[in-house]
Formats: sequence, C-alpha cells, structure tokens
Amino acid sequence: MATYRDPQLRDRLAAEYVVGTLRGRARARFDALQRYDPELRRIVAEWEARLTPLAAAAGEIAPPARLWHAVAKRITGAARGPGAWGGLAFWRGLAVTSTAFVLILAAFIGVAPRPEPPMAMVAVMNDDRGQPALVVSWPPMKAMRDPYVRVKVVQEHPVMAPGTTWEMWMLPGAKDAPVSLGLISTDSDQTMRLRPALASRMEGAWGLAMSVEPKGGSPTGAPTGPVIFRGQCVKIL
Amino acid sequence: MNRPAPDALAARLAELLAQAALKNQRAFADLYRLTSPKLYGVALRILRRQDWAEEVLQECYVSIWNHAGNYAVQKSAPLTWMTSIVRNRSLDWLRRPRQEATGEEYDIAAEAWQDDSPGPMEHLLASSEAAALARCLQQLEGKQRQSIMLAFFHGLSHSELAGHMQQPLGTVKTWVRRGLERLKGCLGAAAGT
Repeated sequence: MATYRDPQLRDRLAAEYVVGTLRGRARARFDALQRYDPELRRIVAEWEARLTPLAAAAGEIAPPARLWHAVAKRITGAARGPGAWGGLAFWRGLAVTSTAFVLILAAFIGVAPRPEPPMAMVAVMNDDRGQPALVVSWPPMKAMRDPYVRVKVVQEHPVMAPGTTWEMWMLPGAKDAPVSLGLISTDSDQTMRLRPALASRMEGAWGLAMSVEPKGGSPTGAPTGPVIFRGQCVKIL
Repeated sequence: MNRPAPDALAARLAELLAQAALKNQRAFADLYRLTSPKLYGVALRILRRQDWAEEVLQECYVSIWNHAGNYAVQKSAPLTWMTSIVRNRSLDWLRRPRQEATGEEYDIAAEAWQDDSPGPMEHLLASSEAAALARCLQQLEGKQRQSIMLAFFHGLSHSELAGHMQQPLGTVKTWVRRGLERLKGCLGAAAGT
C-alpha cells in the first residue's frame, strides 16, 4: 500500500475519482481508503469544489413529476416511528440507510485524536425517528488483549434521566437474545472496555441496541427498559 | 429569468437542509424543487437512461433526507455536497454488471464538448460559479478538455473515451491526467495562491 502515500499519486487518484474515470474495483478500493484517511478525504473535497460547480452550471433538465411523488412517499414513510423492539421491517430499512450512512460518517471515525488501529466494524445507532445518535466502531478483535469499542455521539448528546443508565447490547443475530456490552457514559467520545470473553463474538455481531436501565445496569441480564437506539453492524475491513 | 444569485442560493439551500434535518417536509419539498432539475441533469448525462436516472435520484433524495443533519459537518457548499452524492451514486450504478445501453441513451453528440463547440462553453462562462473553471478549461488543449468533459458530464470511462474519440487508451489517459494537472494549476493561479 506504500504507493498510496505518494502525494502526487494521491492527488491524481482523487482527481480521477471526482472526474469519474476511476472505475470499478479501483473506485471501490479508493472509496475504502478514504474512510480512514481524512487527508485523502480533504484532497477529494478540494477536487469536488474545483469541478462540481461545472455540473451545476450545465443545462437543467426537469425530472418527471412522478419522481417527486416517489420521493415524498418514501420520506413520509420514513418519518413515522418504528414499532416495538425487534420489529423486522424496521431493521430491514435500517440496513440500507446505515450502510450508506457509514460511508458518510467514515470521516468522523477517521479523525481520531490518537493513532488507532483501523476499525473493522461499525454500527450507526439511530433513534426511533431514524435519526443517527451514536456511531460505534471497533478494531479487529483477534489477538486483542484489551478489547474495546469506540462510541461517538453524532449530534447533541442525549440526556440521561436521573437515576438511570444506558446499557449497550450486542445482538449476535436478528433473532438472538441480546448480550450486554456494558454501560455508556455521557462523554461524546468514549472508549468502552469489553470483557475479553466478548471479543471473539464482536466479529460476527449483527446489531447493537441501547436500552434505558436502572442505575448499575439491567438487573436481569436482559434489556428491561425501553430501547432508545439501535443499529445494524457493518463490516468495513 | 428571476434566479437567486449563487451565494443567496447557497444560503437558502443550507437553510433548507437544516430544516430537512429537523424533518420539515415542506422545506425538503422546496429543496427538491430548487435542486432536482440540476441534479436530474447530472444523473441523466452520466446514466443516459431516464429510468436509471430516476431510480438513482430517488435514492439520492431519500439519502439526503435521512442525512441532511450530516450536512452541517461537511465543509462544502450545499449544491456541491448534493451533486457529489448524485455523481457518486450514478458512477456506482454504472459499476453494476450488465448495465448495457439499450438505445434510449441521452444523446452524447447533442452536447459533445468538441474543440470549438461554442454552446456548452459559453453557457459555463455565463455562470459566475463556474466562470473561473470555464476560463481554465478554455486554456487546455482541445483534446484534453474534450476528454475531461466527456468523462465528467457523461460518465465515460477511459476505455469508452478511447472508443468515442477513436484514440489509443494510453493517449486518452494521458489527456485526462495532464488536463487535470493543468486545470489545478490554472485554478490555483486564478485564486491567487
């Protein structure tokens, strides 16, 4: 991968990415690189700023009216709240939006205050209106003595009611019972240590969920309070 | 033509995106009304098929609706942000297997960026947002400009460019690469850096 460090090559690839001649697998590889390379993202953004006004300045073509109807139908559907815990229709929609969102959020994860191994998986946890609330990511867990997940708050930090805590759960599969990962703090960017026994299970994690629990966490080992955020896990490495 | 000035439009679009992030559907409808003819044009030129352009644009607007709140953390102009979403989705669409042209293509020839075709270049020069870029494009060699324009506007790959311009692949690649380098230099000089 040494070649990707050559500044001239990076600039050329970014230019060709934006102009569109970078195609197929090369484009997919470049997309992946950008996720962990904020500097590369910046070079791409510069090329977008250079070239994109051109696209907007070219002739306009009015789309057929049915396009707006199709969009409007989907956004009014999306604005409605999901059903109860584990509603399958909700998860299905989430898979699509989360994957797209992960790409956009990659910049967030990339900007780490200290050097960090590349993240292997990420989950965007949305609230019940489908708005992203937290991004949880973790590095490859193999051979990791001190496993952890990174938790970043996307928008304003949610408020915990007095006397409650928030517990994060990992869902090994769509219908499996949730496994507790631990309690999160109110920090907007935190590292949550995991029990070493969980490390191997994180690689196959299917989804994450956050529930409101009494102080100290769920007394039963399963979520007892309302589930406020959930998100599906996406492998990115 | 009663069009808002570019800066006023950018400010308006940023405001509408902020409203859309709060799930204001009326603001989103305004955003759609102001941007869809531009973005549909972008998608249609790349995809060259109405049904594909509609499908991609539908996905893009739903994505913009879902992620409008994310715009605030982007540092680009609203239209640049939205256009990049549409361009990237359109180019990803072309990556799918078996996306063969069927004859309903948008006619490339109608808007070919020939060496001395005055129409599109004049249009660009008249747009203040793209004027500096258009001037720099004019300074490129004709073949460099044409290959960049065909790739950018119509989503032509290197090999499609080679076929369209009836030139060897390596030659076309060099035109694109040198053209982009010169463009960057020219725009840097124009910005006084």
